[in-house]
Amino acid sequence: MTDSALATNPAPVAAAAAVAPKLTVRDVHFYYNGFHALKGINMDIPEKKVTSIIGPSGCGKSTLLRIFNRIYAIYPKLEAKGEITLDGENILDPGYSMNRLRGKVGMVFQKPVPFPMTIFENVAYGIRHHEKLSKADMTIRVEQALRSAALWDEVKDKLKQNALGLSGGQQQRLCIARAIALKPEVLLLDEPTSALDPIATSRIEQLVEELKSQFTIVIVTHNMQQAARVSDLTAFMYMGELIEFDGTEKIFTKPGKKQTEDYITGRFG
Amino acid sequence: MSAIYLRRRVTNWVAMGLSMLATLIGLAFLAWILWETLRQGIGALNLKLFTKITANGADGGLANAMVGSLIINFIGIAIATPIGVLAGTWLAEYADRTKLGESIRFLNDILLSAPSIVMGLFVYTIIVLPTTALTHGSTTFSGFAGGVALALIALPVIVRTTDEMLRLVPSTLREAALSLGVPQWKLTLQILIRAARSGIITGVLLALARISGETAPLLFTAFGNNYMAVNPIDKMSSLPQIIYQYANDPGDDMHALAWAGAFVVTMFVLLLSLASRMVLSRTKVSHD
Repeated sequence: MTDSALATNPAPVAAAAAVAPKLTVRDVHFYYNGFHALKGINMDIPEKKVTSIIGPSGCGKSTLLRIFNRIYAIYPKLEAKGEITLDGENILDPGYSMNRLRGKVGMVFQKPVPFPMTIFENVAYGIRHHEKLSKADMTIRVEQALRSAALWDEVKDKLKQNALGLSGGQQQRLCIARAIALKPEVLLLDEPTSALDPIATSRIEQLVEELKSQFTIVIVTHNMQQAARVSDLTAFMYMGELIEFDGTEKIFTKPGKKQTEDYITGRFG
Repeated sequence: MSAIYLRRRVTNWVAMGLSMLATLIGLAFLAWILWETLRQGIGALNLKLFTKITANGADGGLANAMVGSLIINFIGIAIATPIGVLAGTWLAEYADRTKLGESIRFLNDILLSAPSIVMGLFVYTIIVLPTTALTHGSTTFSGFAGGVALALIALPVIVRTTDEMLRLVPSTLREAALSLGVPQWKLTLQILIRAARSGIITGVLLALARISGETAPLLFTAFGNNYMAVNPIDKMSSLPQIIYQYANDPGDDMHALAWAGAFVVTMFVLLLSLASRMVLSRTKVSHD
């Protein structure tokens, strides 16, 4: 960690002061095949709060999110440097088990991607990989997950049907159920509503509100109103740098940086 | 304004007319082939065709050739499918964008366009000659050797389609599974192959359609047999080989039998293609 990195990002410390951080990001750099995509990110993401990351396309917000569960590592020639600690352990350490990390940090993607199997199996699939449960316990776990994802009432009579028959919004809630079924501690949402209609979007937003009592949620969104509605803290990124990170209300009413203000007020982006 | 509009409409008509004409030419030949095989073979299209064997000559049928074709094709597909699906999976999931993967994909494409008679000669050298030597001539040509030759033709087709179908599966599905902590092999076997299943089945059916009409690779391998043979170590007859043989015969009755055989093969291939279409459309659930 360098002094200059801290000097350009004084906000994280202030923002995180109230609650103990779940994830601490220290001087994180990211390279796409040599291209410097993230330039020294520092932030403290507090536990059981919703933190949203906003910024124009290509600013690195999804890139940052994809480091938190190291999903980027499935592609060649991508490299992350720096330190990200989850409960005090550096998840970028090659010795940190991928299996354990992904059990602790769940992710939901932009497009709903149910697996080509039944609704029940979609949720049970991940659980089965991490735990050995009896049939009865599994049934309970799947129901819990579907209830938490506010999907149970809509699918309880068709658990044996193919998940691809659900509507887009239902599929996305199924993906959320699938992620939370593993009982992760952190939930990453990568533009989870950008492929959904307004009604399905508001259901997901409502769900995020309900889920934050159990999970630390980080959401990347293109939609500034969405960030304002659902998150406790908001980070604004631009050109691979974290420009400002503070309470959502402060970011949207009295941003500390000119660039943030320009973006929020729609002057660019 | 209206001049531009008129010109666009005319261009549209011309382009559409030409495309339709091209389609009609293609379809006309298909219809002509079907009609011609039916017209010439109708005299021999009767129960005898399916019950009597070729040893009866002009008075017989093609039962042994049909059974032989089924057995040889089955052997070919049974060998080529597991190898082809696994190789295609490796190319798409483990070797994608690697030098080795690209080289093997290229070699597979060469195999795809290799002349089928080369396959026959190759299998003659690696199977027929050694078995002849080992058994002192009691087993020479065999249905099994024919099946291997056909497998070599079906293999690259299956590798290619499996590879392509898996690469069509959106990467988001991979990310979603991996983000649950699922390892690559589970992802591949339990999710990706399932997602690409209908495409892979189509590939296998198309490969089967492709080998059903092959004659050349069977000439030096399965050889032919005028009697009913069901043991794969025996010489075996097949429809394409009988068609070839009977077409060279001067007798008109033999020609009719050849045409009837051609009609049966053509219908079989047509039905397989239709079946593969149905498999594709029945399970067409996209992820986009």
